[in-house]
Amino acid sequence: MSEKNREGKRTARERMLEQRAADEASSRRRKKLLVGGAVLVVIAAAVVTGVVVQNERSKPETPVAAPAGTIGDKNLVIPTGSANAPAVLTVYEDPRCPACGIFEREFSSTIDQLEDAGKVYTNYHIVSFIDRAVPGKGSKIGANALACAQDAGHFRDFHDVLYRNQPEETNDAFGNKAVLLNLAKQVNGLDTPAFESCVNDGKYGGWVSSVQQDFDKSSYKSTPTVLLNGQPIYPKNGSEEITPANLVKWVDAANQGKQLGTTGSNGQAPAPTSTASEANNPSPTAG
Amino acid sequence: MAGPAVQPGDPVPTPSARRPVPVWSQWLGTAVRLGLAVVWGWAGLAKIADPAEAAQAVRAYEILPEGLVKPIGYALPFLELALALLLVIGLGVRLVAGVSALLLLTFIAGIASAWARGITIDCGCFGGGGHVDASQTEYLQEILRDTGFLLLAGWLLWRPRTRFSVDGWLAS
Repeated sequence: MSEKNREGKRTARERMLEQRAADEASSRRRKKLLVGGAVLVVIAAAVVTGVVVQNERSKPETPVAAPAGTIGDKNLVIPTGSANAPAVLTVYEDPRCPACGIFEREFSSTIDQLEDAGKVYTNYHIVSFIDRAVPGKGSKIGANALACAQDAGHFRDFHDVLYRNQPEETNDAFGNKAVLLNLAKQVNGLDTPAFESCVNDGKYGGWVSSVQQDFDKSSYKSTPTVLLNGQPIYPKNGSEEITPANLVKWVDAANQGKQLGTTGSNGQAPAPTSTASEANNPSPTAG
Repeated sequence: MAGPAVQPGDPVPTPSARRPVPVWSQWLGTAVRLGLAVVWGWAGLAKIADPAEAAQAVRAYEILPEGLVKPIGYALPFLELALALLLVIGLGVRLVAGVSALLLLTFIAGIASAWARGITIDCGCFGGGGHVDASQTEYLQEILRDTGFLLLAGWLLWRPRTRFSVDGWLAS
């Protein structure tokens, strides 16, 4: 065999091996591209599915149904007292929030008196975000029960009863509907089949979510948030600590020279039978 | 996007005579892969139940415009679950590890930014989220935890070949 021939054979074999290696490499590349493509498709599909599914599942910011007598452009606010009172007290509260319980137990009788004297019109935003941080459903189920009580015209009394019987924050007693229904027996006229089914069916669950979403978008970050004519007064109004006496003093100062609202309504707006969408429904006939 | 860039001009691609990966490392890789899968699965499931809560967790960072808050809050748990699924079956591990690392770096940056700006929030990493009392922030722990997860992703970026993976099955 000549040297030349041997050279030629080796190159042919080398070329064949090279070709095979090249084929294998390109097949590996193709596989990699396919796998990478599949991964990206899975990820993109998950993202699109997430947006569509969660959008479908999320409750609307404007509630489909609101308790009777609620006010505001989306009917998210529960008012107590007479609508023509000169001062507006705005309160953001979560049924499970311990600081709200402390606030209510100290101030609820004062606020009730201010309402009955026609001095303040209280606007309650019943939020429900403690459930997000502490296991349980007591904020949402409690807020729904308060909405049911509003629907029945007994919000103020039931609200006061709830906060007087508030469990520890980590105890989800308000997540138990039987507990709420039992507490409702302390409010005259609230223990009805309509109220019971409203609580058990979570009738205003969508409304509760709307109220919370409204709070999420607000600039307020904790509860209780208490405003007098829009000015924060909890825990302090300027440099003055909030106390029942100071609250009365501040309200009187704000109301100076103004005509007081209808008195003696007990803040208990009679429940209109229709789904009242008209805001600022004064309640001179209550009592 | 997976693996090294394709070089069409290269006439002689290097054959698969790479340094062999020791077997123990492939088993460790399987554990790391499944560990990261559990992290993503847990994180995704915890965020999925309440869309409004997930959106608020995003909003509380005060970084994204309102228009992006809901899409991100809605998509994130599903993205995390997709990563978990891909890690469990072991498909495209290097790419999935890369996406995981990017996501974790984004989370760490977000938490650090909230910390630096003096916002008091829960990271919402595993559900929850939103504003908390200043005494209840846990930024350092949250960042350290995510850094630990980042190490898992980094390992898989370095050594993507693991036992019991679709990648391994496809290569054999």
